[in-house]
Amino acid sequence: MKGYRYPAHWLVVILVVCALLATQCAPPTTPPPEAQATPTAIAPATPAPTETGAPATEQAPTPTIAATLEVSQQVITQVVEESEAAKAREPQKGITVVSDEDVTTPRTKRGGEYKDVATSDAVSFHPYLTTDTASSSYQGMVYTGGLLRLDENTLQYIPNMAEKYSISEDGLTFTFHLRKGMLWSDGQPITARDFEWTYQQVINPANEFPYLSQLGFIKSYKALDDYTLEIKIDKVYCPSLGQMSGLITPLPKHVWEKLPWNDPDKNPEMNKPSVVSGPYKLVEWKRDQYAVFEANENYWYHGAPNISRYVIEIVPDQDVAYQKMKTGESDTGPITPDKLKEARQLPNITVYEWWPAAALWSYIGLNMRPGFPTHNLHVRRGLSYAIDKDLLTEEVMQGQAKRLCSVYPETSWVYNPDVPCYDYDPEKAIAEFKQAGYTFQDGKMLDQNGKQLRLKLIFGPNTSKTRELIAVTVQDYLRRIGVEADIQAMEWSTYLEALHSNEPDWDIYIGGWQATIEPHIMYTIWAEENIPQLNSVAYINKEVERLFEEAGSNCDLEFRKEKYQQIQRIIAEDAPYIFLFYNKSWSGQNKRIKGIVPTALGIGWNMEDWYIEEAPTP
Amino acid sequence: MRQALTRYIIRRGLQSLFLVWIATLIGFTIYQLAPGGPLQFLDDDPKRTAADFDRLSALYGLNRPILVQYLAWLTGEDWFTILPGGAAWQSGQCRVNAERCGRGILRLDFGRSFYFKGSNVIDLIVERIPATFMLGFSSLVISVAVGIPSGIYAALHRGKLPDHIIRVTTVLVNTVPEWWIGLLLLIILGGYLRLVPLGGMETIGDGSLPDRLHHLALPAVVSAISGWISISRIMRFEMLEVLNQDYVRTARAKGLPEHLVIWRHVLRNAILPFVTGLSGIFLIFLSGSILFELVFSWPGMGRLAVIAINSRDYPVMMGLFVISSFLGIMGVLMVDILYSFVDPRVKYEL
Repeated sequence: MKGYRYPAHWLVVILVVCALLATQCAPPTTPPPEAQATPTAIAPATPAPTETGAPATEQAPTPTIAATLEVSQQVITQVVEESEAAKAREPQKGITVVSDEDVTTPRTKRGGEYKDVATSDAVSFHPYLTTDTASSSYQGMVYTGGLLRLDENTLQYIPNMAEKYSISEDGLTFTFHLRKGMLWSDGQPITARDFEWTYQQVINPANEFPYLSQLGFIKSYKALDDYTLEIKIDKVYCPSLGQMSGLITPLPKHVWEKLPWNDPDKNPEMNKPSVVSGPYKLVEWKRDQYAVFEANENYWYHGAPNISRYVIEIVPDQDVAYQKMKTGESDTGPITPDKLKEARQLPNITVYEWWPAAALWSYIGLNMRPGFPTHNLHVRRGLSYAIDKDLLTEEVMQGQAKRLCSVYPETSWVYNPDVPCYDYDPEKAIAEFKQAGYTFQDGKMLDQNGKQLRLKLIFGPNTSKTRELIAVTVQDYLRRIGVEADIQAMEWSTYLEALHSNEPDWDIYIGGWQATIEPHIMYTIWAEENIPQLNSVAYINKEVERLFEEAGSNCDLEFRKEKYQQIQRIIAEDAPYIFLFYNKSWSGQNKRIKGIVPTALGIGWNMEDWYIEEAPTP
Repeated sequence: MRQALTRYIIRRGLQSLFLVWIATLIGFTIYQLAPGGPLQFLDDDPKRTAADFDRLSALYGLNRPILVQYLAWLTGEDWFTILPGGAAWQSGQCRVNAERCGRGILRLDFGRSFYFKGSNVIDLIVERIPATFMLGFSSLVISVAVGIPSGIYAALHRGKLPDHIIRVTTVLVNTVPEWWIGLLLLIILGGYLRLVPLGGMETIGDGSLPDRLHHLALPAVVSAISGWISISRIMRFEMLEVLNQDYVRTARAKGLPEHLVIWRHVLRNAILPFVTGLSGIFLIFLSGSILFELVFSWPGMGRLAVIAINSRDYPVMMGLFVISSFLGIMGVLMVDILYSFVDPRVKYEL
């Protein structure tokens, strides 16, 4: 009986290995985030790029922003001859700003539990290691915001943890006076030493802070005493006030200094913070399942938030999360654009909508490198004329977006309405192509060699319905002027790699950015030094770079505005992008949650004042 | 005889380890070849500069050649200093702080995660094993409990209506992806009828046994579908094969009651190959639950794998890969050895 053996067990081994390989290498089913610029520094770890393919659905309440409450009066001791907005945004030279805002009156509508759902869990509570949105919203629950915060109405920086700040005559020394009486959750005072210590850790290059270069302009950061911080910078840089006051939220020195900064094995505070400064304390975090928070009675800003418990449940699928909101299992949930109509009708849900200051916007990038048809200005303009952007905005976004004609959306304070917008006009499109040496014949756009113009259009992630729709619409419009577009949908990483390749093979791509409240940050996507990474179209215009440099180093508001407006005009004329639209944001909330006020900052800015109607009042 | 068995086990064991090693080599290469990398989250973030990118790359040792990274993963990087110029092969973190040097998979150090900011890979995996095990085990139980009787029933009524019904249903169900059935049932039963919870392993703050079973029910049933279908088919096939054997005819001929023929002669012989293969099937169940874990927000290894793959978290991906290939290969080895015990006709040779 030599013959019989268990049949083909080697085959089984190979099959098992293959099966394992297959399952391990399965394509990601959740769309990764999209190419974006990040908004201005509000939370220490700024929200990571968000997918513009499914706009606003991830814009749900981000408790990140520890900014709070109604605007209160500020006393500006040395009145500057400027407009209201100017006082606001611009770090003036030789001024002192004092806040007389009441921050101690306790809230009165306390109690209840808020049930949140999220499609992705946080990575860590360490505010200086992460870049993702989920982590920064968790961190925003337990760590309070910065020295200053953005006012939700004027979008200007106003005192927050600092009750007073002054800027020296030369504009290089900033002095912040902290509020007295702010406490950590264990009752210890929050002092300038905490800030200084935290800053010293963050700037250690071995400590993994991803945005270290953002702090490069700071020359020194010192605690003069327990309640005074002095920050010095090298040269006048206009976004500096926001960056220096927003990027650092303090960690409790008395707890953390005995622990290694970035080793979760030996530093339990990284994933289970025990001493916190924010509105909530962490009760329990089960990775990929849920996180439970409870009100921090020692919170410095009006004491504990109204809602006593805050629970975040992790649901990997947007549809399921939406169902949860519908059934009342959660108080909020993501609403994809196609569900918006239905959501507005739900009896238990209010849909809040707003035009965000940091709006997501979409565009079509045109490869400007020599050798590509789109290298020619007239071809780029022709393509811009050929596409009906109004219809695209209306049909693709179903009214939840507005046209965009250049780098900044209407919500920006530097918005320039007077730029070429390339309204749909196929005649003009064909005329532009003729100037570029093409002939339009028998419905075909022929180049000098008599070959029809074909363009390779890429987009990613291939799961984004919005981008797919844009792609096929563009293809259709181009066909009308005799240009063939070959669409290639790509998985996210492949798309990024193609986009950031040194020798790209695509002609056009569909992309998105998130606008920033500080206009200067957009410089990075037009700077020659950032080719091919952020400046994927390889836009080179020394004039634009010079204007950006000027606008960043002279903090006079009108001067800056004029420069940014010139920039918008020049870029629109150069047509490196076909600018499409910027998105509205919205969020569904259960009707029992009251006190929600949408502003340009969204709805999360006053989260601590939200309250639950049926909650018993103490 | 005993000696032969020992030799067989040792030889097969060594072969299996070799196979695991080959699998890691393949796995590492595939992961590294995939576009993107652990720092791709910074790729299009205008707030970082090229300097930030390079600094982090050097800290994590991602700027080293792939082979060096593989060597560091396999053997650790603490000993690199004994090589001339070997310190340059160490990651920046290891050079700054000796505690952060990897010790390599051979010393059972799975490394630290990029995505989870330095958490130990093995902790991340161990944390999720119970959930995956629970789902895999219960769906196995369900698919066996349903699959075997339906297979037997179909075999005994071969060519008649029940057989057709079972066959047509299984084919129909098999043509639809199970995760889709899962999502559909979740939305109908959970969303509209509210009979089952919308995913998760327990109600936050509850976690009692009935609550857990309530959460387990739908995912276990849905992920059992494919197992039930294949088990039912195998069972039917094995039964039919045994039913045609001479000894069955003999048993019938000598006047044994039909239920005794089926129970004593047919079933026992038909079920044998199946029972021995069960451990292997269980391991396949473990690896197959990725999609269900996604659909039902089940916090197991499958979801960890998806996170790790999306974020190009090489150490976590490799850790899961090693563990699951190890489980898979050991599962098959176990089946072979067990089988040789059950069926004395099997010879220990290769």
